[in-house]
Amino acid sequence: MRGMKMTTENQTFAEKFDLLGCIQCGRCTGGCPVTVRTNLNVRRFVYDAYDEDLLDELSRVAEIWDCTACHTCAVRCPKGLKPLEVLIGLRSLIVESGKTEPTVRDALESTFMEGNPWEKPRATRNDWMEGLDVRIAEPDEKVENLFFVCCTIAYDPRVQATAQNMVRLLQKAGVDYAFLGTDETCCGSEIFTLGEDGLFEMLIEDNTEMLNEYQADRIVALSPHCFTTFNTHYPDLNKPVIHYTQLLAELLEQEKLAFKGELAKKIVYHDPCYLGKQSEVFEEPRRVLQAIEGVELVEFNRNRERSLCCEGGGGKMWVESESKIERLAETRIKDARALGADIVAAACPFCVITLDDAVKAEGFEEEMRVAEIMEILEELEVVQGQSSSAQEVED
Amino acid sequence: MKMFTCIKYVPDTSEAEVKLNAEGTGVDSSRFSYDINDADNYAVEESVLLKEKYEGDVTVVSIGPKSSDVMIRMAMAKGCDRAIRIEDERIADHDPLMVARVLAGAIKDQEFDLVFTGCMAEDYGQAVTGVALAEILGVPHAAYVKKVEVEDGKVKAHRELEGGLREVVEISLPAVLTIQTGINEPRYAPIRGIRQAQKKELKVMNLDDLGVPVEEVGADASLVVLEKLYIPVVESKAEIIEGDPDEKAEKLASILVKGGLV
Ligand SMILES: Cc1cc2nc3c(=O)[nH]c(=O)nc-3n(C[C@H](O)[C@H](O)[C@H](O)COP(=O)(O)OP(=O)(O)OC[C@H]3O[C@@H](n4cnc5c(N)ncnc54)[C@H](O)[C@@H]3O)c2cc1C
Ligand code: SF4
Ligand code: SF4
Repeated sequence: MRGMKMTTENQTFAEKFDLLGCIQCGRCTGGCPVTVRTNLNVRRFVYDAYDEDLLDELSRVAEIWDCTACHTCAVRCPKGLKPLEVLIGLRSLIVESGKTEPTVRDALESTFMEGNPWEKPRATRNDWMEGLDVRIAEPDEKVENLFFVCCTIAYDPRVQATAQNMVRLLQKAGVDYAFLGTDETCCGSEIFTLGEDGLFEMLIEDNTEMLNEYQADRIVALSPHCFTTFNTHYPDLNKPVIHYTQLLAELLEQEKLAFKGELAKKIVYHDPCYLGKQSEVFEEPRRVLQAIEGVELVEFNRNRERSLCCEGGGGKMWVESESKIERLAETRIKDARALGADIVAAACPFCVITLDDAVKAEGFEEEMRVAEIMEILEELEVVQGQSSSAQEVED
Repeated sequence: MKMFTCIKYVPDTSEAEVKLNAEGTGVDSSRFSYDINDADNYAVEESVLLKEKYEGDVTVVSIGPKSSDVMIRMAMAKGCDRAIRIEDERIADHDPLMVARVLAGAIKDQEFDLVFTGCMAEDYGQAVTGVALAEILGVPHAAYVKKVEVEDGKVKAHRELEGGLREVVEISLPAVLTIQTGINEPRYAPIRGIRQAQKKELKVMNLDDLGVPVEEVGADASLVVLEKLYIPVVESKAEIIEGDPDEKAEKLASILVKGGLV
């Protein structure tokens, strides 16, 4: 087998992932959150993958599918390596051979055929809009904020409220906005982490072309996964991409938006890996929550870049871990209970779904709930900024 | 081993509400996604597995629109070698017998050892095409096959019967096998493979190209007329029959007789 190099675009595996840069310090494995429940040792793969002859065998080690792409290892690596991408590279070998888990295969095929990994028809992508008078973007019409919903928010009833409440808020606050029609297509975040490079490249090409046609000042992504993926993997996008919490924080700061009413709740904010660690948006979601009267915002011990991963990313929605050890989301929920939180707030559809499952698994439904920030805001009256209404909030 | 695999592009009706079109003669498919018929996906995998084991080649045959090319390319990315897509509006394609005649027209003059179809297409659920195809080709068949063992000019087909029973039949080649879902685990067709499959041959043909006379497969030839489609009304009428087993059986029998059902 020697001489038969596993190359991508003429680069060897070692070159592509800069494996020789690794000094085997072990900070990646040391910070990897899933090591408490699986045998994944990412440092081992960074080391062993240097040997091209081992790649095939390494790609068949089950643990490579335990990585949640939380990026802790990449944040911690002193040499600037992205250890997780070595695991993704190994996953690619499996995907190229066609021998993926059926659940992964179905998610990938659905993304190719219908533009979403949830095996839903493209034609029903905007069904969440029913009953709302949503402005749909037209390529030749100018708009300030062009919204990108996300496949999960569009199709999963648990998190559709994120988009629905956003529409109501935008209309009340008089923000210039539009949503994409059913040609909105998966950003490829999870396609990338599942190791389907070819499909990911295709999505980047098609989405760049589609999004560049719109006369929008910027794109506002509802999911941190789309937000981070656009900013890190779409070099040719012709407009900036922000996360919706950044838009809300901006509107609050410019006094164009205010919330009326009170919510006397203790809220703990969970930093999603893709919003926090990966894109360093830490303060804006907190500012939005703090703008609600009555809210007592508390912090997890592990917050901001140290936030504990919920295990919803890295394609884990389609790959079940064998481990019987407590899920990280359950650990997170127990921590939230210890803090006496009424609400665990998150700003990511995957976090909401996994944390919500953990609340049910622990049987804490009576005492606490998981809510997307947009769900929390729904309980308040949204008013168009102007100093008068802003004052009412301060009253 | 020379193989043909018949695949059909069908709507997935599981995710969107099924509504009739304005004329009431078909289903409004604007909100459905289309994909390879489930059983046919397994048939493709089975033929590719046999090709990998015994060498040979697989030709995909499909009657369908241009939009189904993506499905055909996926099958070729998985290992099928070439494809014939038949597109002709004159085919009475609601009638499985007509479909089988057209498929036979594409296969009959060529050398083949095995022809695979799915056991049933999800759209109309007739479960007839494969068997009819075998009859027209004049070769033996096994329907609802859950396992295939090829032996020297013969094939052992493990068939799934009602109630989950298994029957093993030995038939001589060439033969037609209609494949039941679950026989294998269909592989994923990576996008790079689909792009490479662009190089494989995909012949688009009509009835004239095939030499199949329209009088044999058109609406006039079909004995099946689709008069009307309707969504059954959900009713909640139920009669609970009480009594010991003998009494129950007697009451039930008299209901069936009165209703003219037996
Ligand atoms: C509900 C039901 C249950 C049955 N259960 C059993 C059972 O358990 N065991 C048993 O032995 N028999 C069973 N039978 C009967 C028997 O197996 C069938 O008569 C036989 O399998 C024929 O199926 P078919 O594939 O022709 O049907 P169809 O549904 O008409 O066609 C299915 C296949 O034909 C091919 N095809 C159709 N249209 C096209 C096209 N446009 N282009 C290319 N290919 C096409 C595809 O491969 C497709 O999967 C059952 C029948 C029914 C209706
Ligand atoms: S943290 Fe970076 S340098 Fe250290 S072992 Fe991991 S990959 Fe190597
Ligand atoms: S991305 Fe997270 S889960 Fe994956 S190897 Fe790195 S630290 Fe571990």
